[in-house]
Amino acid sequence: MRLPTGQISRFGTLKSLLQRFAYLSLIGLTGALMLIGKADTVLVERASDAVTDAVTPVLRVMSEPAAVVADFVNNLRELAAIREENAELRESNSRLLQWQSLAQKLESENKSLRGLSALVPEPNATFVTARVVADTGGAFAQSILITAGEQSGVHKGQVVLTGEGLVGRVMQAGLYSARVLLITDINSRIPVLVGEAGNRAILAGDNSLRPRLLFLSNKSAAAPGDKIVTSGDAEAFPPGIPIGQVSRVEEGGVEVEPFVVRDKIQHVRVADYGLSGILAQSPPALKAEAPKTEKVEK
Amino acid sequence: MQGTLLHRMDGTARRFVPFGVTLILMLFAMTPTYIPGLSHVTPMYALMAVYFWAIYRPDLLGYGATFSIGILEDLLAGTPLGSGALILLLCQRVVFHQQKFFNNKPFGIIWLAFALVAAGAALLRWICVGLVATSGFTPIGQMFTAYLMSVAMYPIIGWFLAKAHMKLLAQSE
Repeated sequence: MRLPTGQISRFGTLKSLLQRFAYLSLIGLTGALMLIGKADTVLVERASDAVTDAVTPVLRVMSEPAAVVADFVNNLRELAAIREENAELRESNSRLLQWQSLAQKLESENKSLRGLSALVPEPNATFVTARVVADTGGAFAQSILITAGEQSGVHKGQVVLTGEGLVGRVMQAGLYSARVLLITDINSRIPVLVGEAGNRAILAGDNSLRPRLLFLSNKSAAAPGDKIVTSGDAEAFPPGIPIGQVSRVEEGGVEVEPFVVRDKIQHVRVADYGLSGILAQSPPALKAEAPKTEKVEK
Repeated sequence: MQGTLLHRMDGTARRFVPFGVTLILMLFAMTPTYIPGLSHVTPMYALMAVYFWAIYRPDLLGYGATFSIGILEDLLAGTPLGSGALILLLCQRVVFHQQKFFNNKPFGIIWLAFALVAAGAALLRWICVGLVATSGFTPIGQMFTAYLMSVAMYPIIGWFLAKAHMKLLAQSE
């Protein structure tokens, strides 16, 4: 059956009107979602958890080839440098043996002093190891997705580490996956100690590779090479986790080079130190916190 | 009879190719590449795909599909919900409107136009996220690097998209 020309053009107009209406509705919906996301973060988090749980298996499969290639390239690189590395390792081994004897001496001394002062021991941490399946690093957010969630004992606020040091903390935990907020994310604020003097500061990410130190109590004391460790303030992180070292000190601030090389993270450890710090509730809560909330019993 | 059914199923599957390819590219942007220095400036792959299909097959990637990809991206990446979808939808609309301009243009012009569209998209997203996110505006330098990466990557991604287009859609014509 053929429609008369007038009817066709009327259908066309109706169709384009409907399309325009659908388009404007979708644009309106994005605006509404942005407002909802701002007002009800819990709802958005739940939706995000559900989606992340569902998509993680797909991302896991997709990340496999890149991981295999990266492993292969690493193996080649390691083979090429095996001689030099061997010599280096021998040297560092002999140095470490000296440190080991010193550590043993200190440990026994520590034990006897603890006995004298009746110090309450820190609770032991439990660890969960997970694979990194997505690096959602863009200009706007710096987080990774890992293959462990509530089912494996991963909860919001827990500390995420690699052998080198601190990676970040669990921001959202679904059943089978979790999102880790990296220390370089613009929302990340970590109470730290700088250098041997232990000056207090807040390490703040800005979505670049190198986070900066805020509220540094003695700015002139920071020098390139100074080690940065967590201070344990605010009970968000246990004290003494290595983070990085000062890479640049300038007028605008102090830049920190993290020990964890972002591009090489394939597996992470999620540590449960049994801390119930303020970060467990909401990431931006620490935003304006100066490092003066020092705990006396430390 | 069976042949017709298979044929019809094949046709339906082909119609989902633009959506599927865009979805895969969006997920690809999130898979770790382990390439030093690249992990914090991911190119806007989903935008490239939306731009490409809006030019060559506007009939096969509708607003609804683009919206859902944008929302999924926001939920996975942890960016303010709706911001990614808004940018993709606006980009798609701009290209739809300029359909005549894009008709039979050489690749150089398409690439240049992508650079313009992507610049607008990146800037708008930066403003959008800055206004909505609790953390405020991110340093614009990061976004600029991601933009440059996107423009640089477009010929490669565009080539793959063109391959997919020719292989899977030309037969369904």
